[in-house]
Amino acid sequence: MRKLLVAAVLAAAVAGLATAAWGAAKAPKRVSSASNAENALVKCGKTRLVGLMAPFTGPAASIGVNQVHWANFFKNAYNRSHKKKIKFVNEDTMLGSANGTAEAVKGAQALGSNRGVLGVVGPAGSNEVKATTGALKGAGLGWVSGSATNTQITLDGTRTGYFFRTVPPDSSQSKSVSAYITATLKLKRVYIIDDQEAYSTGLADEVQAQLKAKGVTVGRDGVSQQQSDFSSIINKIPRNTQLVYLPWQLPPKGKAFGQQMKSLGRSGTKLMGSDGLFDPLFSSLGNNVYDSFFPLNPADKRVAAFKKSHGGNSELFGGPSYVAAQVVVGAIDRACKDGKATRAEVRRQIKTTKIRASASLLGLPVAFDRHGDMIKKPFGIYHSVKGVFVRVA
Amino acid sequence: MNWSLFFGELVSGLTLGSIYALIALGYTMVYGILKLLNFAHGDVYMIGAFVGFFILEWLGGPLSPVVTGWLAVAIMFAVAMLVCGGLGVGIERFAYRPLRDAPRIAPLISALGVSIFLQNSALLLWGPQFRDYNTFDLIGVKSYSIGNNFYISNVQILTISVSIGLTIVLALVVSRTRTGKAMRATSFDRDAAEMMGISIDRVISFTFFLGSALAAAGGVMFGLVFGQIFSLMGFTAGLKGFTAAVVGGIGSIPGAVLGGFLIGLTEAFATGYLPGGSVYANLYVFALLIVMFLIRPTGLLGSPVIQKV
Repeated sequence: MRKLLVAAVLAAAVAGLATAAWGAAKAPKRVSSASNAENALVKCGKTRLVGLMAPFTGPAASIGVNQVHWANFFKNAYNRSHKKKIKFVNEDTMLGSANGTAEAVKGAQALGSNRGVLGVVGPAGSNEVKATTGALKGAGLGWVSGSATNTQITLDGTRTGYFFRTVPPDSSQSKSVSAYITATLKLKRVYIIDDQEAYSTGLADEVQAQLKAKGVTVGRDGVSQQQSDFSSIINKIPRNTQLVYLPWQLPPKGKAFGQQMKSLGRSGTKLMGSDGLFDPLFSSLGNNVYDSFFPLNPADKRVAAFKKSHGGNSELFGGPSYVAAQVVVGAIDRACKDGKATRAEVRRQIKTTKIRASASLLGLPVAFDRHGDMIKKPFGIYHSVKGVFVRVA
Repeated sequence: MNWSLFFGELVSGLTLGSIYALIALGYTMVYGILKLLNFAHGDVYMIGAFVGFFILEWLGGPLSPVVTGWLAVAIMFAVAMLVCGGLGVGIERFAYRPLRDAPRIAPLISALGVSIFLQNSALLLWGPQFRDYNTFDLIGVKSYSIGNNFYISNVQILTISVSIGLTIVLALVVSRTRTGKAMRATSFDRDAAEMMGISIDRVISFTFFLGSALAAAGGVMFGLVFGQIFSLMGFTAGLKGFTAAVVGGIGSIPGAVLGGFLIGLTEAFATGYLPGGSVYANLYVFALLIVMFLIRPTGLLGSPVIQKV
């Protein structure tokens, strides 16, 4: 009886192994390791796949959709003028949702295991860039963000050669912000509230240090991204505060904060957001609102064409994602000259990108330094006039 | 002493506490009658906020409502309370009643299931985006001041007074009406009440209706005061409402109100005065819960259950 049992177990084990082996043979080919992935030759074909990671839904969807619109605007224009076509593989990162960065990581893993994907546009947030590094780098993919501005994500060396961005870093943003507050607005009492995310705390630290160095009295506090009641923290802001600086990523939260400021009798205090709040939701708060944003050229004819095709809305926040798509697709084109490409080749091509100022939507030439940052990286300051942001510096 | 900060946090705490109190009342009433922790209650509150929002949209939106702003607010409250009252009755009928004689863990698990069901249904139907009440456009938020230190907005006044008003109505219903007497009898001894001819099913359904309607009012208030609502807002609010009910003494209606205000004030003053309070206010709130359990396990106004041995 015992022998029979042993034989049965052995037979079951062999059957199991055979089934697994058969299953593995039948399963679609998946990327198995970083070096395999980045060096695997992909036939470029008529349609090239590009990953597009953005917050399609979630609290940051209002800015995410801008990015998606601009990336698609590039794709459509490209497909109209080229025989080879581009197709985006979309992954929703749900920036700011209760799941944290889990959705972004899932999306990155899906792109990594899709052998046809040669490069990625996005993701939007610096925290997401950090969280997806393992999955994207492990799959050998190069990725270009049109909005992740944390200074350290290019300087810490973790993703050098893989990650690039078409926006200036916070170090550049903080200089423009602090200079405008002290030199133009000539303010002496500022309160900074971060939202506890890597992007926000990094930028807040830099602005705080620069303002203090210029003799400004700076108060500092933080809120959670999930928070909706800001009344208690507004009460803490000294009444003689001249400006509250909000380096946040979620425009609906920025609007809620501004509305609660007004309802608590603080409508006289100026509000200044960062690039994450560059949205009509935030500018609609009134004439006391300022923001810092990428140096997009509003006079570019593509901005006018985009506005026309999107119901009169220019959605400028998504502009750098157009340039990010331009960089990735350009790199794929160059890597695919012989009809085949590897992800490593595409990365090398991204690194050597050169887009002339006249061809760049940003109004300045796009080329990357050894860290993956743009070589030229100024930041603009905007003021809300009748609910619309107008560049003032 | 910074009186401006003190009064500011006081008003914020009372506003927040008003909302927690309304949620806590639902928890405490259901527990009083069924000895059930209805964990789906926070999600009924979320549904109430969304019903209010969609009614506002139906009325033309905050910028151009077809009725006056204040009438729109009244309609939002009324419809949200009715819809959520009905939802509460439905939840009791289909998720809890079949388990009334099952071991106590079964309805508890069922409550968690209903909570997740409601949360995910909201995500599926309405997505994870924030929805904006735009109270400024709807009723024009105004701030009133007394001296240089005391500020309060019309929406905060509305929230605190509606909460107190609804609590008084509830207290009158429970203490002065036949249905209220039946609720108290059922809470005291369900079997004896049934033998005296009280329709237990009807009393329990009515309790769920009342509790859910109050939660819906809390949801609409949240949207009006804080501007935005979202599909996952019920979880934390439900947890705070539950904490308020426990701190006040679960099963006690005045206790739930007291607990709600206490939690709201703790959160506001922790934000204003304690280190890291603006980020870690919840730490202080739940620390209060633990301290309360250690000092007075039955809560502030709860009474110990005497068991015959």
